[in-house]
Amino acid sequence: GVLAHLEMLEARAHEAAVKQEETEQQEEKLARLKARVQELRLQRDELRAKVDLQQKRQLGQEGVVSDPEQPSAQAVLEWKIKSVKDMLQIFYLTGISGKLTKHGVCFCISTAYEGTYLDSYYLDLLTKPEVQIHRHSVPIFIPLEQIAKKYLQTDIRRFFSVLSDHLNAYAGRRYQADQLQEHFSDQIEGTLQRNSLCNLLVFNYNTSGKSKTFPFNARLLYGDLCCSLPTEVFVSWRLDAPASLAETAAAHSDLFRRMALHKAFRTFSSAERLVD
Amino acid sequence: MDNSICQVYEDEIQSLEEEIKLLAEKYEDNQQEATFFSDKEMLMSIKSFQREFQEVSKGREFPSGLKAQLESLETDLSFLMKFTGIQFASHSRKTVEKTRNRTVQKHRLSGNCHSLSFQLEFQLLEMQNKKNVSAVITDLSIIMESGEDLDVSKFVSSTEEHGNLLTFFRNLSSCAEWYEHRRCTFLHFK
Repeated sequence: GVLAHLEMLEARAHEAAVKQEETEQQEEKLARLKARVQELRLQRDELRAKVDLQQKRQLGQEGVVSDPEQPSAQAVLEWKIKSVKDMLQIFYLTGISGKLTKHGVCFCISTAYEGTYLDSYYLDLLTKPEVQIHRHSVPIFIPLEQIAKKYLQTDIRRFFSVLSDHLNAYAGRRYQADQLQEHFSDQIEGTLQRNSLCNLLVFNYNTSGKSKTFPFNARLLYGDLCCSLPTEVFVSWRLDAPASLAETAAAHSDLFRRMALHKAFRTFSSAERLVD
Repeated sequence: MDNSICQVYEDEIQSLEEEIKLLAEKYEDNQQEATFFSDKEMLMSIKSFQREFQEVSKGREFPSGLKAQLESLETDLSFLMKFTGIQFASHSRKTVEKTRNRTVQKHRLSGNCHSLSFQLEFQLLEMQNKKNVSAVITDLSIIMESGEDLDVSKFVSSTEEHGNLLTFFRNLSSCAEWYEHRRCTFLHFK
């Protein structure tokens, strides 16, 4: 009786001690968090004031208050470094940028479709004893070796121009297929069939997202690997579909030959479609 | 009960940290964009920087990290300009919008490729999405010195229409060579 009672009292005391410790830890944690919040609020307010002052100065609202202290040589150097870095970033937008390395140059080829920049690809070149490709991130289905064999030693600018043509055309084809899949998925039966080079596309489609059938079949072949428009287009329609579709199919075929895939779809898709 | 208060504090801490990061970046951008040091000022700064370092190091081998970094970057830039034939004369940018996921900058760029000089203005929108950062050019405006040339103006208007900045630069050197060739031929027959 007594022992059991004592044990119970001990257990209760232990429980209470544990609870006490938990509460203290909680309170400590809360106090820490509260202090941190106040510290950050102060920091944030100071930064806000600094940025406001900058903007006021630029708008001429604070008068021409020239910096009382001359910027240090270090600040000037840091400014220049940022400027040059910005300029190097701009080169990225031109399609070819790079960096000198111990053993040569590491080039970066960027790709874009109209105003949208897509993937970029790296070529790490050695320059001694002759120009060779050390490492690269060009996909295997791009004929890099062929192009290198033809131009790398003799006309390196031509090499980059041709390689860039291939890469940009591939990126453009892939972009069109992706856009079609993304924005017109309800008009395509299943998913678009494509190969890794994205120069063969096959899909069944209709002209309105509301229709449940896909009477048209399109087969696009991009024979010119440096081009993002197809060289051969076959649009067929189902046997059980009305004959009037023949005319539509011919019209679509013409569109696919002349303009980007996703733009062609925008042109002929039902006016009832909600515009993206 | 206490846990929810903790959560509220933790949420606020996270949002404050993000805000601070954004404000600090805004401050840096504004400083960078509103400043300009002429080449003369640059040279003076480099000299004075070297002197400061010599005083501190007093003969010890002290690599001037910043100066070396600047030299390396300038070598890269001059190599690219020689290699591509595209010489940039001036560049300015202005951050027009900056949020956690989105930055919009207005750029002004001028330069030349052989004898063709150009002036560009465009907006660059960068967005952070799940996988990566996407970059899109809008409001592209191109002014070419030889704008009266029909071929050149056709080229310019089609690239402007679709924001095709990349195509503009990729074709610029062949356009410049062609223009140069025609100009020389024309002068030859004058």
